[in-house]
Amino acid sequence: MAQPAATHEDPALRERFERDVLPLLPSLYGAAMRMTRNRSDAEDLVQETYLRAYRGFGGFQEGTNLKAWLYRILTNSYINTYRKKQREPQIVDGPEDVDEWYLYDRLGGRSVEDSAETTVLDTIPDQAVKDAVESLPERFRLPVLLADVEGFSYKEIAEIMETPIGTVMSRLHRGRKALEKALWDTAKERGFVDA
Amino acid sequence: MRERECGPDCTETLLEVEAYLDGEVDPDLAARITDHLSGCSPCLDRAEFRKHLKEIVATRCIEKDVPEALRDRIRSIIADP
Repeated sequence: MAQPAATHEDPALRERFERDVLPLLPSLYGAAMRMTRNRSDAEDLVQETYLRAYRGFGGFQEGTNLKAWLYRILTNSYINTYRKKQREPQIVDGPEDVDEWYLYDRLGGRSVEDSAETTVLDTIPDQAVKDAVESLPERFRLPVLLADVEGFSYKEIAEIMETPIGTVMSRLHRGRKALEKALWDTAKERGFVDA
Repeated sequence: MRERECGPDCTETLLEVEAYLDGEVDPDLAARITDHLSGCSPCLDRAEFRKHLKEIVATRCIEKDVPEALRDRIRSIIADP
């Protein structure tokens, strides 16, 4: 990060930080929860992100993408600090094994009703969706989070993750397949679908 | 796949529907896909399913309550970095 002007010594900068960066707290905390998968690490990660952002805010150019800038700090902090101490979940079947329309094919055709598969999705509780996302290996979880939860474009995700755009697209695709499988497994285990 | 039911554009549509729903295809292709979906219910059904799945992930992964202790920690950064 470039040597920034000290945010705490510049009242206008500090005011802008409070106005523009503080409201993103719920969104950053949610992403941190899905990244670290526990509340205590998520809180530490968000605190570190805000501290780094506050210190570096003088180097941030107004008018450029603030949210992407913050998510890049969040992602870097996560990778540098928290990833090391976390164990990746054991994935028996790689996402490569998942059919293109895995979840659609399993949820559909279970009823004569039109769009039954879409309706079934609504019955899956919040926690089950969170658990399914958190079960993904990190290289797939991050692009899915950044695209589907945070709404970043492929280009923005490539910048946030410092990864080529083609890699982002392939990981996002495979991550979504893996998520479909995780959702199906969760829904089955918890009895939201009969299988 | 049900190509026979809805013509030769199904393969391209289903291949590109993910990027289409992400808003990442060029306007020409987007228009062709939109046009195809409007006349092909099997493809539309799949596209709607994917779209809904994206929405589910987006809305269910939100943390509605930020812990008060974390808010305090963030406030103290600004008060005394």
